[in-house]
Amino acid sequence: MEIEKTDRERGITVLRLEGRLTMVSAPRLKSVIDEAVDSGHPRVVVDLAAVTFMDSSGLGTLIAGLKKARQADGDVRITGVTQQVATVLALTNLDRVLRAHPTVEAATDGW
Amino acid sequence: MAGEYALRGLAVPESLDLLQDLLEQVRREHPDLHETDVSMFETAIVEIHGNVVEHGHPPGQVIYAFELEVSADRLVGILADTGVAVPDLSTMDELPHELAESGRGLWLAKATLDDLQYARMGDRNTWKLVRNRTDA
Repeated sequence: MEIEKTDRERGITVLRLEGRLTMVSAPRLKSVIDEAVDSGHPRVVVDLAAVTFMDSSGLGTLIAGLKKARQADGDVRITGVTQQVATVLALTNLDRVLRAHPTVEAATDGW
Repeated sequence: MAGEYALRGLAVPESLDLLQDLLEQVRREHPDLHETDVSMFETAIVEIHGNVVEHGHPPGQVIYAFELEVSADRLVGILADTGVAVPDLSTMDELPHELAESGRGLWLAKATLDDLQYARMGDRNTWKLVRNRTDA
């Protein structure tokens, strides 16, 4: 999986992921989110538009990132949710915790 | 089961990619399969195999064998592994707290299939996964 990281103003970081988000790639995503929060960018947008597949490890990593970001007064918000990812979120009842935003801009609304 | 597709090797994280590559091959060779059926079957097999990779004992030495048959009305997969540990089946029926970072894998596998069976057969763990085809 590829991860492209862009830091923006107001403590926002946008992460664009590409490929499969599974237990193979999830530890790398965790490191990137941790690094963003630790370097003063606790408002993290994860763009999943090019993620072809996500498993429960990917889900767990997003939850871990969300908890860490919230401890630093930030959050993790997601956008670009594809069908398989939306189904995984819905079946685990996490679509309420990780609400899907239609665009990166919509995800940063209010920040 | 006479598997149309088969894969075997060490249950390590990289083997997940091999399983998913195999599912890509299934998509190419069965264009009539509904994408939802393939992606939900893929979700289940990645979760179950991921469980073997993560909890299989001895770590890094467990051997898995996977067979998949695509028939007119369903997808049937058999995943066997040589791990000595029996998986914790209680997590199949209950979701953890919403902010838990793990514990959803077997729940998800069960939810994306029409039937999921586990058996300890001799010195092997054996899973049978069935996804009925949407258009059948």
